[in-house]
Amino acid sequence: MSLAPEKVGAWLSGTGPESDIVISTRVRFARNLADVPFPVRMKPSEQELVLETVRWALAETGYLKAGQFFENGLLNEPDGLYFVERHLASPDFISAQNRKALYVTDDETLSLMINEEDHLRFQGLAAGLDFSSAFARAGGLDEKLEGQVAYAFSPDYGFLTSCPTNVGTGMRVSVFLHLPGLVLTREIEKVLRGAYSVGLLVRGIYGEGSETKGNLFQISNQKTLGQSEAEIIEVISGICRQIIDYEHKAREYLMHNLRVEVEDKVFRSLGILRGARIISSDEATNLLATVRLGVALGIINELKLSEVSQLLLLIRPANLQAILGEKLEPADRDERRATFIRQKLVR
Amino acid sequence: MRRCDLCGKNEAVLTVRQLDKEGRATELAICAECAKKRGFTSVEDLKKNSQELLDELRARIDEKDKKVVCPGCGMSFAEFKRLGRLGCACCYETFADHLQPLIRRLHGAVQHIGKGPQQGRKKAQERLQVQRLRAELEAAIKDEDYERAAALRDLLRRAGDESGT
Repeated sequence: MSLAPEKVGAWLSGTGPESDIVISTRVRFARNLADVPFPVRMKPSEQELVLETVRWALAETGYLKAGQFFENGLLNEPDGLYFVERHLASPDFISAQNRKALYVTDDETLSLMINEEDHLRFQGLAAGLDFSSAFARAGGLDEKLEGQVAYAFSPDYGFLTSCPTNVGTGMRVSVFLHLPGLVLTREIEKVLRGAYSVGLLVRGIYGEGSETKGNLFQISNQKTLGQSEAEIIEVISGICRQIIDYEHKAREYLMHNLRVEVEDKVFRSLGILRGARIISSDEATNLLATVRLGVALGIINELKLSEVSQLLLLIRPANLQAILGEKLEPADRDERRATFIRQKLVR
Repeated sequence: MRRCDLCGKNEAVLTVRQLDKEGRATELAICAECAKKRGFTSVEDLKKNSQELLDELRARIDEKDKKVVCPGCGMSFAEFKRLGRLGCACCYETFADHLQPLIRRLHGAVQHIGKGPQQGRKKAQERLQVQRLRAELEAAIKDEDYERAAALRDLLRRAGDESGT
């Protein structure tokens, strides 16, 4: 059982469809075992029971040997943040003090939290705009597990979850998008309102609450009951295609009318990243996102999109410390981060 | 006929509606008797005191919600309101009346469309049947209808419920 921080998930190292705008797609399912209370009401012995049952089921279905099974120690703060930054676990999962476990496939495209808000929360991740791969990964695990355990399910309310906001399909679909064009042309509000109007949630990926860093956004479905899995995906897919179209047009506009300004912004960002001796996670995120735009527009040719996406992950606090193999104070981290980035961007 | 929210017996003759900060409406309906008992002689009186009455009504609802308890995990509906989380799968059945409007508000629907576990569905349906029989058995015992209770107990045993009360 070990971490391999130099390696990033396959969903970050591939490029995938529409990768100039879409970073990744995620499909998550929430499930609970029948006949055991939900996590909010579980006794320690019941937590243990669920953990062992799921571990056994993963072994029976062949998943266990295709990945790693992490328990308690590594999953608490501060080590657990490594998984949060990799989008494999939620902050709540890491801060909770109960008996819990995390299963991750070797390529990190499929992960499963045991005893978070529900007994099972698992997700499939894919590079770019790719609902079918993400759904196939999560859905595949769902079907295999259901052959081994009995899920809490009612014909009326579907899969029973601890919070009624997830009941029904228990499915949350999210798409992670980079929308600098729409932000710079100030059309982002209009576009996001369009998403809200069809019942989708939008929030910034990095930053506290709804604050956005690096013009990176996450769009997800809000409702999980009353629509089939295919219908939910159809709605979010339709909106995403529209948003991608608008973003392309916004970028075209910028390149046509403000080309020099865009190049200036892009090369200044690259310049700071290549020259800085001290850099915070936030600043690095913003600059790398701008560089990503530069690569997507063909302004920067010496870097690949996947390299920038990977850097966006590796500079985050827990991952950086894991790669350097050292625990560092924030001030030291900022200095070491700057060195790390300079090394990665050398040409 | 809308019953009075205070006594629950008589027909309400006056209704006051209030919107809270989040735009959610609470309604208070009051009958002539309760109005007179509290000294309201006009609609103005009622309006002036509506905040107090609504608070009282809410407190009473909370008290009632504390008494609705799930047999599966011991959670009361009041607790669910506080935590935002249900304690177990049985809660959906226990709190069905309260949950349905909430779920409708959240999802715009109250019927699951989509995939379901093949194996689990049969098991879950069997369990539901057992739960329903148990509820009927309790009702029969309360009504002192022991013949019916005995018949239900047999049905429960056959449905595979070992404990059978």
